[in-house]
Amino acid sequence: MAVGPVTIARPAPVEGRPVTLRGLLEREGVFSWLMLAPGILFLLAFVAYPFFYGIYLSLLERRVATPGIFVGLANFRTLAHDAVFWQVTGNTFKYVALTTVFKLTGGLGMALVMNQHFRGKNLVRAALLLPFIVPTALSTVAWMWILDPTFSIVNWLLVHGGVITSGYSWLGNASLAMWSLIVVNTWRGMPFYGITLLAGLQTISPDLYEAAAIDGATTAQRFLYVTLPVIKPVLIIVTMFSVIFTFGDFQLIYALTHGGPANATHVFSTWAFDIGMSAGLLGMGAAVALAMLPALAVLIVGLTIYLRRE
Amino acid sequence: MTTRREFLTVSLAATSAALAPRLAGAAGKATTKTLTTVRESSFIKAFDDFFVKTLAPEYEKLTGIKVGYEAVSVGGMLTRLTTMAETKSGPEITGTGLNWPYLFDNVLVDVSDVAGEVGKKLGGWHEIVQDVVVVNKKWKAIPWGNIGQLEVYRTDWFKEVGVTKFPETWEDLLAAGRLLKKKGHPFGFEIGHGFGDNHGWMYPLLWSYGGREVDKDGKTVLIDSSETAKAVDFCRKFYQETMFEDVLGWTDVNNNKAFLGEQISCTNNASSILVVAKRDFPEIGKVTDHALNPQGPKGRYHLLNAQSLALLSYAPDQAAAKAFLRWLYDDKQMSRWLAAGDAYYAPFLHGYDNHPMWQPEPRYMPFKESLKTSRPHTWPGPQGTAASESVAKYVLVDMFAKACRGDSTKDVIATAAAQLKQIYKAK
Repeated sequence: MAVGPVTIARPAPVEGRPVTLRGLLEREGVFSWLMLAPGILFLLAFVAYPFFYGIYLSLLERRVATPGIFVGLANFRTLAHDAVFWQVTGNTFKYVALTTVFKLTGGLGMALVMNQHFRGKNLVRAALLLPFIVPTALSTVAWMWILDPTFSIVNWLLVHGGVITSGYSWLGNASLAMWSLIVVNTWRGMPFYGITLLAGLQTISPDLYEAAAIDGATTAQRFLYVTLPVIKPVLIIVTMFSVIFTFGDFQLIYALTHGGPANATHVFSTWAFDIGMSAGLLGMGAAVALAMLPALAVLIVGLTIYLRRE
Repeated sequence: MTTRREFLTVSLAATSAALAPRLAGAAGKATTKTLTTVRESSFIKAFDDFFVKTLAPEYEKLTGIKVGYEAVSVGGMLTRLTTMAETKSGPEITGTGLNWPYLFDNVLVDVSDVAGEVGKKLGGWHEIVQDVVVVNKKWKAIPWGNIGQLEVYRTDWFKEVGVTKFPETWEDLLAAGRLLKKKGHPFGFEIGHGFGDNHGWMYPLLWSYGGREVDKDGKTVLIDSSETAKAVDFCRKFYQETMFEDVLGWTDVNNNKAFLGEQISCTNNASSILVVAKRDFPEIGKVTDHALNPQGPKGRYHLLNAQSLALLSYAPDQAAAKAFLRWLYDDKQMSRWLAAGDAYYAPFLHGYDNHPMWQPEPRYMPFKESLKTSRPHTWPGPQGTAASESVAKYVLVDMFAKACRGDSTKDVIATAAAQLKQIYKAK
């Protein structure tokens, strides 16, 4: 005998019978909206409102503590003619692209290792999560010391190991400063990839690997034709989240270089903060922050479409 | 056990008690019982402590008004003030620095009456400070002192290379720096994106060579000049021959750390290095001294950073807040407060030119002398949002920084000129 799905929803109240609060709460439609309401209200207040207010601000010439004047897209036109804006755009894309690649490959490797059985596995898993758990402001202070030319442990090791004769200027040299930030961001963000991908790996049935082994698949083939296809959706979701967070990265860069030397490490978020808060140009600051929106939108829409097709 | 009725009675009573002052305030019947000031926390802890532990209790005893103090970490005050101005809520009295009275003109109360009285009683105000606190002929903030940016150097290492008196000119400082770098004691002047120690020597350097960002009219960009080129050329040489690459990425903490870590022999900073050295590194403290910025072909300059208190227009009882400012800036209070600050703040009142606060430590005296030649950022241009934009975008700092890393003088000046023309909407 076929068994149909059990509905937990109460039937709609019979006409004429009084509607009680309890009866109303028992209705699935009402209850589910009630459960969703706090989340929706939170999102409206702290995400939707600032977002739309940001768009509105970007269309104004709005200096701090003064009423704004509607200027349409003038702020964006000004930015388009500003060489620093294009430098900041380049820096942001370089920073996001490279850190994403490193975090993705490193995180995948980390997850594959953590998925093996070895002694002290739990301890290693906890230790690998540390960079993600420690507050960024604190870990950045540690990195300030690590990258300090004089007190740097990296320089000390390189010099005493005979690799170099004098220490590198990790934050003073324009190229090295960007690479230093990429390394620190990768260090901080890799555990997020690692732990999420590990969760994905643990959903793979051992039967699949056994079947592949019987068919004579090598380790690389098992990874390419079993592991990767199964964790692909998780991989895409985690990459999407990471790209969004990295685009908005602020604390790390602000604390380590403040966008210097000579704007070599300024990204959208740090530049927007300087323009909005330090210069008091709230409209222009909002325009800079919004400049990252098209790229993010394309990425999110593209990845979502891809996921749905899959 | 508490019954529901008892719980409700207690809750209602507590709520009523909590809301009573607000409701009475809204009806305009309450007398002010509290005032709050917000300031960037002072580098001199005793200065803040004196306010909290001595001045505030004294005022409460005198008037019944409790004065609170909210400390904001160094570098964070502008963000806090922006939030207060935008939300029109927060402390009634705020600390200001640089050109902020211009930025927040719309939300600051005219305190010309208080400033006038204070000036009359205490020998008059230094003229230069009015450039940053008097907006459209109205005092929008009342200064208590300047945080000067001067040369901080190691006397023992300078003596080692035969320099017994701090060099008078930039060229002489360069010559001394060459010798010191050879001896393993390079200079370390911040050229990165900090908020004070970079501008602290770069604007004075530009001005001392005759260069200017913009003219008084705020419309004529002057940066593209032979004077600027000379300053840029000097800066490149100064960096290459006396410093090391890392200074290009330094923020404000780095030079303090490097000086106290005995890595550099000279930098530009406030007196905080000596303060910390005397407290934590007494041996370094003994061989550390201050000097005025060197002269260039067109004079000697310093950067103005007037620390002031201002009154927010949303304050519910402005009269009470003004009365507090009047009391605070009275000699009986202000004199003791400044003394607690260990001469970290150079007062702008002529009545304090020979204040006893200068006696205990003669090495702070150059900070007093520097007031005569101090100018605000972007001087002689007008102090306003364009000036803030230029500073926030590090136009001048990056011009020098790019030259130091090897870009041509012509290119770096052209870039700065283009940026300034956009900022000042000049043709």
